[in-house]
This record gives sequence, C-alpha cells and structure tokens, in this order.
Amino acid sequence: MNRRIFLTLGMSAFAVSLMPVNLKAMNFRESKPKVWTATKVDQAMIELFGTSTAIESNMKIKAPDIAENGAVIPVTVSTKLNATKVAIFQDANPESTVAVFTVPKDGIIDYSVRIKLGQTGTVTVVALADGKLYKASKLVKVTIGGCGG
Amino acid sequence: MAKKTRIKAKLKKGIITVKAMAKHAMLGHREAKKAKKDVNFITYMTATVNDKLVYEVSTSQFLSKNQYIKFKFKCAEKGDKVIISWLDLKGTTQTSAGKIK
Repeated sequence: MNRRIFLTLGMSAFAVSLMPVNLKAMNFRESKPKVWTATKVDQAMIELFGTSTAIESNMKIKAPDIAENGAVIPVTVSTKLNATKVAIFQDANPESTVAVFTVPKDGIIDYSVRIKLGQTGTVTVVALADGKLYKASKLVKVTIGGCGG
Repeated sequence: MAKKTRIKAKLKKGIITVKAMAKHAMLGHREAKKAKKDVNFITYMTATVNDKLVYEVSTSQFLSKNQYIKFKFKCAEKGDKVIISWLDLKGTTQTSAGKIK
C-alpha cells in the first residue's frame, strides 16, 4: 500500500516537472498543419522543409520488402548525420506524412515505428542536416490476404 | 481510459535504448468509419529524462495501433526515469514513467 502511494506521488510530480519542457518543444501538428493534409510526398516536403530537393545518401531505412499485413509495418530510420529533423512519408495512403521527429541534443537517430499502409507504396525518410536534405526510400509490397505475391 | 504506456529502457555502453508501447486504438478516417467511432489518434509524443527532452515526434493516423516505438539516446544514468507522454486528437494526454536498467 505504501509503495502504491509513493508511486502515485511520484507520477504527479513528474507530470508537473514535465510542463515547461512541453512548452519549449515543437508540435508540428500545431505549427505546420498543412504538412498533414498534403497528398503528395513532394508537397509535404515543401510544406515541412521549404524544398523537395534532397540528396539521396547517408540515410538508412529498414523496412520489409513484402508486408503481409499492411496494418503493422516496422520501419527503422537511422543516420549518422547531425540532423535536427527527421520525417517519414509514404505514397500509399490518402495523406503523405506519417511522422516528424525533432532530434534533441543527446538523441541518436535510430528510430523504429510501426506504420500502416493501405496498399503497396514507397516509404521515404528525409532528414534535415546543416541546411541540406537527405533522403532514402524503399518500396514495400503489401499483400492483402497473406498469400504472398 | 487506455492503459499505461509500457516502457523498457536499457543502458549499454553509454547508450540508452528505450522500447515503449502506447496503448491506443489509432483510429484513422477509414478505420473509424468501419468501427463507427470518432477519428482519434496520437498526434504528439515526447520522452524526457531528468527534465531533458530526448525524443519528440509529431505523428499522423498512419501509425499502427498500440504504437510500439524504439529510440536511443545518450547522457543518462542507470536508475534515471524515462517519462513518456502523448497527446491525441481529442486532447487526451497520458504520462508514464519507466526506469533505466
């Protein structure tokens, strides 16, 4: 019982200490709402970064070649670049943008997320480092019915 | 409401790897229609250690449900607490904490 009370106290203390951090942080949903309604990858890139020209190097993307279940596709992004922003786009769903990461000071760019794809499509990752854009993309085949193909 | 986010954090050679699973239905427009529920998904997620931001992401409805994330960072000690919080489209927030092992 004591332990439980202690835990609850701890939790609420964290919630309070978290507030100023959240204020400083950047929520792209609020600051750049147009990014999330863009229907083309290029368009979304222009909305987010101001340009759609990117160098195809220095970025690593890990995703399956064939995904049996389009609802859960593991995607891993990693780079050694000193990037400040990393974004994931795809061209299979109605809107292009999946996620936008802001890289904090001590963060290492090696992010894994699971995404949804409505059909076969290309997953593109873009990173902003030293004012330049770097990208990598990969085609993911989504097979509906799970019979391969 | 939803269950707490499950957090596992491990320190190895100065790098902390965090694996977390946020319990959320992540209903996109299409899924919401099918389930006859409102569209609702996590839009923003952060992680902090010692009041320092270590992970930050703005997300869309194209993340899978019960979102599982993995990320790495440095400059933290064993026993420090990783605090992950998210915000969804309806304004619900949830904060969970896990210890670095």
